[in-house]
Amino acid sequence: MKRRIIIPFLLIASSLGAVGAATLGPYSAPQHSTQPAPAASRKPPIQAGERIFQENCARCHTPPMSLPQRITGTVVMHMRVRARLSHKDQQLLLKYLTP
Amino acid sequence: MRRRIKIQEWRALLLAAALCVCAWDCARAQNAEENHAGYVPVLSGGLGYIHTVSGGVPALEPQINPVLLVPFGHQLLLESRTDFTGFFERRDLTSGPFTGKIYKTVEFAQLDWLADTHVMAVAGKYLLPFGLYNERLQPIWIRNLQDTPITLPIGTRTSGSGMGVMLRGAATQQTSYSIQYSAYFSARSGINQLDAARTAGGDASIYLNNAHLEIGTSYQRFLQDHRINSSAVYLSWQPAAEMVDMKAEYDYSYNGSGYWLETAYRLQKLPIPAFFQRLQAVGRIQYFAPLNGGGNGLPRINTQRFDAGLNYYFRDDFRLISSYGRSFSSQQNANVWNVGFTYRFLFPLWPARKR
Repeated sequence: MKRRIIIPFLLIASSLGAVGAATLGPYSAPQHSTQPAPAASRKPPIQAGERIFQENCARCHTPPMSLPQRITGTVVMHMRVRARLSHKDQQLLLKYLTP
Repeated sequence: MRRRIKIQEWRALLLAAALCVCAWDCARAQNAEENHAGYVPVLSGGLGYIHTVSGGVPALEPQINPVLLVPFGHQLLLESRTDFTGFFERRDLTSGPFTGKIYKTVEFAQLDWLADTHVMAVAGKYLLPFGLYNERLQPIWIRNLQDTPITLPIGTRTSGSGMGVMLRGAATQQTSYSIQYSAYFSARSGINQLDAARTAGGDASIYLNNAHLEIGTSYQRFLQDHRINSSAVYLSWQPAAEMVDMKAEYDYSYNGSGYWLETAYRLQKLPIPAFFQRLQAVGRIQYFAPLNGGGNGLPRINTQRFDAGLNYYFRDDFRLISSYGRSFSSQQNANVWNVGFTYRFLFPLWPARKR
């Protein structure tokens, strides 16, 4: 019974995975679309807002790869309440997400 | 008398509405000056479908948990989450057609006032801040393993939510650490979809920035029927150089005590083909020992369980999930299989204003 369920699932999962890998390309670490591209020669110092974003989002879930600008204020308010951030952190996050 | 109450209620409602509009308008003006962040209402949440086989009994569980965020300026936020979960089993458990129903639960519907740099006030129905799981890891798209820990009912009776007021925020913030807190009081409520128990409690945690380590503790006093205390200690650690997420919690209450330890590892940084870099391996062990007969959502006998899961991230918001768990108790040892997918959605409720 279990084998009858698991084998089709594994087949479906692996074929979906193959399709996903082929169509989406290599997976990269979540980065916001407004983040400046790092220089090829040296790694830029991490911004305070970026550090807060990565620490506080990643503590509970996978951070979103991008965020439409018109909802950043709302999402950061929600994030501030959930993660119990200070007003300073909220401002730094907004600065990072909407430079 | 009745008429007088009605008039008073209407006056209070009108006053509240006027205050909201004023706050919204003032804050909107401020926002326009400060930055380009948009404060458009948002519809977010998770949806998923889980096929579970527990002790040989299959069940189908489609779920959707929409979250509505409506800001009034940059200091007031109205937010709510409703859970719609279907539970379908075969009529004779292992044979026959699938039958079942969809359960609807308003998990929170709260008004947040971001009053001060260190204080936020929450009023309405809110998630009880007890331990790591209930408030932070509950959404279907966040949890690494779909089955909740055995000790989840500790400190979250009776509905997982409180109905009243809560103060929360960052007590202090230094270069190397910050301390967060929550303190709440919940009134007893039997109103449909707003049900809650009379409780009071709080949570405090310290986050060490350099170590990426959070250590916290929670306490709750259950203030109705049989008055009991519940407490928890927990830690959450995400080392910066590794894609590891480790969480552990120990819970204690009148009805029993137990712990769980969960580790998730993303293969993202390993020198392996891109296809496999999207995988996440998860493991969890847990143990529960009842006290005073257990009950109140907790097992009545000693229970141990381990789970191992493999998740595949197509994107940050869409993944396939699978897990195997085995539960050990003197009554029955059982296998639990879960397969399915989860998706997180997030979009504005109306388009941006043209400039």
